[in-house]
Amino acid sequence: MTRSRQSRAIWLVPCALVGALLATLPQARGADDPREWLEKMNKALATRNYDGTFFHLSEGRLETMRIVHRVRAGRVTERLQSLDGSGREFVRANDELTCYLPDQHTVLVEQRQDRGPFLGSLPQFDASVSDFYRIEALPAAHILGRPARVIAVNPKDQFRFGYRLWLDEKTAMPLKTQLCDSRGQVIEQIFFARLEMPENIPDADLAPTVRTEGMRWVRQGPSPDSASAALGAYRASQLPPGFRLTVQGAQTLGGASSPASHLVYSDGLATVSVFVEEQSATAPGSAASPDARPEAPVQGLARVGSGYAFSTIVQGHQVTAVGEVPAQTVEFIAHSVKIYSSGEPPRH
Amino acid sequence: MSEQIREQVSAFLDGELPNTETELLLKRLTRDGELRESFGRYAVIGEALRGAGSPILTGGFASRVNLAIDGEPAQVPGHAHQAHAARWWRPLAGVTVAAGVATVAIVALQQRAISPGPRAAPALTSQNAPVPPSIVAAQNASLQGGGGAREALSYTVPARSANVPPALSSGRLTNYVLAHSKYSSGLGQRSVLADLLIEDDEPQPAPLQGVVQPSLTPDVRVAP
Repeated sequence: MTRSRQSRAIWLVPCALVGALLATLPQARGADDPREWLEKMNKALATRNYDGTFFHLSEGRLETMRIVHRVRAGRVTERLQSLDGSGREFVRANDELTCYLPDQHTVLVEQRQDRGPFLGSLPQFDASVSDFYRIEALPAAHILGRPARVIAVNPKDQFRFGYRLWLDEKTAMPLKTQLCDSRGQVIEQIFFARLEMPENIPDADLAPTVRTEGMRWVRQGPSPDSASAALGAYRASQLPPGFRLTVQGAQTLGGASSPASHLVYSDGLATVSVFVEEQSATAPGSAASPDARPEAPVQGLARVGSGYAFSTIVQGHQVTAVGEVPAQTVEFIAHSVKIYSSGEPPRH
Repeated sequence: MSEQIREQVSAFLDGELPNTETELLLKRLTRDGELRESFGRYAVIGEALRGAGSPILTGGFASRVNLAIDGEPAQVPGHAHQAHAARWWRPLAGVTVAAGVATVAIVALQQRAISPGPRAAPALTSQNAPVPPSIVAAQNASLQGGGGAREALSYTVPARSANVPPALSSGRLTNYVLAHSKYSSGLGQRSVLADLLIEDDEPQPAPLQGVVQPSLTPDVRVAP
């Protein structure tokens, strides 16, 4: 187990992401700088070959999954498989993602831009991120019998989550990761039970194990984004510290007759989306499709994965904030949304 | 969980289980759902005893753990109730990783989500609007994302109605999550990915294949 055979050839083919990371590396950091270790982790996750089995523990529930990641001649292929539950698998070959959902007798295929490795990565910790997260090295530990660096990314307030990462001393792979709130309480964790980093991974290990006979194949076309100009001007009038508007646009949500305004706020690490829709958007008489139905107003809070969604009504508009952040962050942002009448430009 | 397994799990969590035994434990876990469940609970207890903080748990289990540890009822972290109440969201949230991909799956999942049963717990209410939040001294707090204003800001989460909600269009909420996932960043992506792979532990209401309605999925086209 944990045969960490080095694969020098892999280092010769860094992907564009890693190239960008390297280009922005600060020059004067010590080898023990925790930020240096997070960058090593990002690089390892994106550029190394690995084949591992890990546990995902959330809400007292344990799931076992296998990840296989291969970089060969600049092509990234990876497979994520549920070993004990749904039997679902994801296979990504460069920018095509295929989701095998045997419990639904369906295979879904999507063209997508490079989204980074399945196991994720952390963004660059520049000065603005450092205002709201404190990165520190904790005492070293052992995971899988291997020495590991322990890095904590602690939120400085209650509006965002943090991470604790156990990085393999030799490979910088995250052998264990915890998602924590501002009090340090663990929300979710992932830890490897087995991790190999072979020089070569055969095609067979990246092929889905799901039998697809009789399953329905569905291909997703381009993003359904709509650039409708008829949207009102919506903005969060107040934001939790550090969050700023990074993206705005329109999204036609499934089944809706008209696009919703979509605002994305980020603190550099956490992201919150805000959707604003006129409540009459699906009323009879609009250009609704036959399937579009008027929706009752929705208000309240829901857990979504490791984050939350919160909906409320503002001046006759349905406002929903969603993100991998604490409940109060989505509530704060949703409640602060204001509807600006035409001719009155948003302040930001 | 037998004492032997318990010791193995404990050693594994401490990083002290020999590789060969880890492999065996892994195989047992992938085969044995009951053992897996026990392992999950044991791992949670282990983390709590190690002082790594209390993972968010469903209330019932948290109570049992706390009683076992110190005889006190659980003080589950603030959003534990919400986590429990909104568990039906999880399969929906999981879809986020396949942003845009899983339209057919969404339709199927929303059928599952809105079916009556324990998963349809109060997550959203459509009446009795929450009192607007009181935002104290938040003026100019980071309106442009500038740093340094965090000390000036405090926030009180408004009281929430305890009313049981009516049936909801969970598909609508799913769509929000899907749209958001295109912009979610960092390791948060991974957690929704993991969620997508997780099977529900509760009975399925109906054969899912049969409820897929192409008419509700205008953005999906079936491959020739």
